[in-house]
Amino acid sequence: MPITTTRRRLLAGSVATLALPAFARAQGAVKPRLTAISQWSAGSDGAAITALGKKFEEKGGVWQHSPVPGFTTEMMNKLRAQIMAGDPPACSQLKGPEIAAWSKIAPTVDLDAVVAAAGYEKVVAPDLAKLHKPGGKWIALPLQIYSTNMLFLSKRAMDKAKADKIPVTWAEFNDLAEKMKSGGVAFPIANGGTRPDDGQKFEAALAGISPLAYRAAIMNLEKKALEGPEIKAAFAQVRKIADWMDPNVGAQHFSTNLKRFVDGDMGMMIMGGWAQGVLRNAGFKFEDFTIAPGPSDNSKPVFLLNADAFIFWQRKEPDLQAGQTLMAQLVMDPAIQTMYSQITGSIPVRTDVDLSGEGWSEGQRTTAAALKNAIASNQAVLSMAHNMAQENGMTAAMIDVITEYVKNKTIKPEQAATRLAEAVEGAR
Amino acid sequence: MSNTAAIRPGGPALPEWVRRLPEYLMIWVPLLLSAAHLVSFSLWTIWISFTPSTLIPVTGWVGLRNYTAVAASRNWQIALDNLLLFGCAFVVLSAATGLILAILLDQRIRGENVLRSIFLYPLAVSFVVTGTVWSWLLNPGLGIQKLVHDLGWTSFRFDWLIDRDMAIWTIVIAAIWQSSGFAMALFLAGLRSVDADIIKAAQIDGAGPVRIYRRIILPSLWPITITVVVIQLQFAISTFDLVRALTNGGPGIATQLPALVVYDLMFQRSLLGRGAAAAVLMLLILLAVLLPYAAWRYFQRRRAAHA
Repeated sequence: MPITTTRRRLLAGSVATLALPAFARAQGAVKPRLTAISQWSAGSDGAAITALGKKFEEKGGVWQHSPVPGFTTEMMNKLRAQIMAGDPPACSQLKGPEIAAWSKIAPTVDLDAVVAAAGYEKVVAPDLAKLHKPGGKWIALPLQIYSTNMLFLSKRAMDKAKADKIPVTWAEFNDLAEKMKSGGVAFPIANGGTRPDDGQKFEAALAGISPLAYRAAIMNLEKKALEGPEIKAAFAQVRKIADWMDPNVGAQHFSTNLKRFVDGDMGMMIMGGWAQGVLRNAGFKFEDFTIAPGPSDNSKPVFLLNADAFIFWQRKEPDLQAGQTLMAQLVMDPAIQTMYSQITGSIPVRTDVDLSGEGWSEGQRTTAAALKNAIASNQAVLSMAHNMAQENGMTAAMIDVITEYVKNKTIKPEQAATRLAEAVEGAR
Repeated sequence: MSNTAAIRPGGPALPEWVRRLPEYLMIWVPLLLSAAHLVSFSLWTIWISFTPSTLIPVTGWVGLRNYTAVAASRNWQIALDNLLLFGCAFVVLSAATGLILAILLDQRIRGENVLRSIFLYPLAVSFVVTGTVWSWLLNPGLGIQKLVHDLGWTSFRFDWLIDRDMAIWTIVIAAIWQSSGFAMALFLAGLRSVDADIIKAAQIDGAGPVRIYRRIILPSLWPITITVVVIQLQFAISTFDLVRALTNGGPGIATQLPALVVYDLMFQRSLLGRGAAAAVLMLLILLAVLLPYAAWRYFQRRRAAHA
């Protein structure tokens, strides 16, 4: 009986409001409260959001976070259920084009005033800002940025290959993998085999070969670009990467192999910046690995953008509304973004945060510099594998083709390219 | 309703329907509730399958578009092929395993109760646990293959889990492990219910044990076999948790099954309309199994009534 519950709650809410002394209300003395859901329950992600909650409480708020562990889609199922029951959380994790899609099914909070007060718009990458104001108004706030195509190099594997130069292009990457193989590294590539993992290998390959083709084919779904030679070249590169991986990896998560990666049994990993947080959280040291931008054939960094964000759902309760304002202010705060990114290994959304100080790693500085350069050369594109470029349905249709290709070595790159174009048509 | 009100000595006469009210309430209320649940949600799903619903259910009419989109998708086609292979292999092999176990247990052996519990035990384990345990056992880098390698036979290969052509068989193996005990229990009950006099008569006539099994016992197990097959088939069609834990549809999309596709469409791709269409197609497959069974039962009963 969702309707009754809402009414009863509304009633309780208004009674509570009336009961408050008038002067207290006038001064806005409602204790801010925030109901939030996210998928961040454990590891560095869990630690970061818990720290954010502590800050929220320090400001006098009541922090009610319900994590839904697993993939983002599992968090979305809870969100969907809550929205359909007329009881959305005050704030939930959501990102990319899903922000626009979901904002159509339930009313969201207009954040324009609080964003303007913080002068936030000036310090956010324009492509990113667009995703968070689908109807021209800010309804969601990005929290942290990752690149999904960072190149992680194992120090011990590099020693085995007697190599010290970080590969910049795919050709150099392939050379290094061969060197590692002949130098005794059992598997030059250390990735896992989940669906997003397979998707990342493809997007890293395509964007590294041609960011223009990536933008046209994957972000804009142009038919001509989808049938272009760059797609075939990207699939061919993905095959090489798959051949250098441990065939037993199956559908394992990338973190399963981190120890073998650090030990030098595996050499390189194309993974999001979050792997740094996971490596650090697992007790490995910065000396064990190097982080560099993913291979790019024109030698200028390509940045596959993935940004976590919070969307704010309309609530009538004054304490929740106060909580939403406080949360928005915190999320935009450079100090909070610094704290958050230092825990998870991401980089701040604000382009004006200085990363030269204590607490930032070389990898994060490299990532931030890569983002700056990529934006300057128009090579910052939105990640497909992590649902930034397209809505879930389209992304899943593409990853179906990619994941089958990665695991089925009898499919030719040309066939895969045709299937990708067909899958996009079918999912439109 | 009844016009033959019962007369009770020493008390006012209560109409029959009042006296039987508790019985009616006990039977009809839960029955109607569950039927209403089942029917209303099935109808709801069928309705959704004709709407353009994506994130949440919406009204509107798209005709058969969701159905054609699902039927044309590679995921669904692979799922149907797999269902055919998995359904047949699993039903036949688990029934055969169950029958063999039942016959062996029927030899009046010592410790029968212990053995029966052991073989029935997997049924008490949830499919998620079964799937997870077998995913470790069958992982070439961790399980059986590694064990054999460590024992010295290094050329031994058993990597079905990561071989996209053989991966579906790993699900067959795990499913048989889980449910052949159930088939065994049914068959064992069937074996025990064969009239001992007939067997004695056959023995007196000089029939050996093989002949007794082939000519007398097995033919009388026919109805139980049908029951086992139908129960296992409807389990096979709705298999979800086992695959999700064991291969999650992988490697790639090689071990997709219809239930996995439904879940994927509804909850991972947020395409409720298409997911509902896939669910309705699954229901039709299930009916294709259950309706002939119901018809067969009906004719059996009619024949028995006429005989």
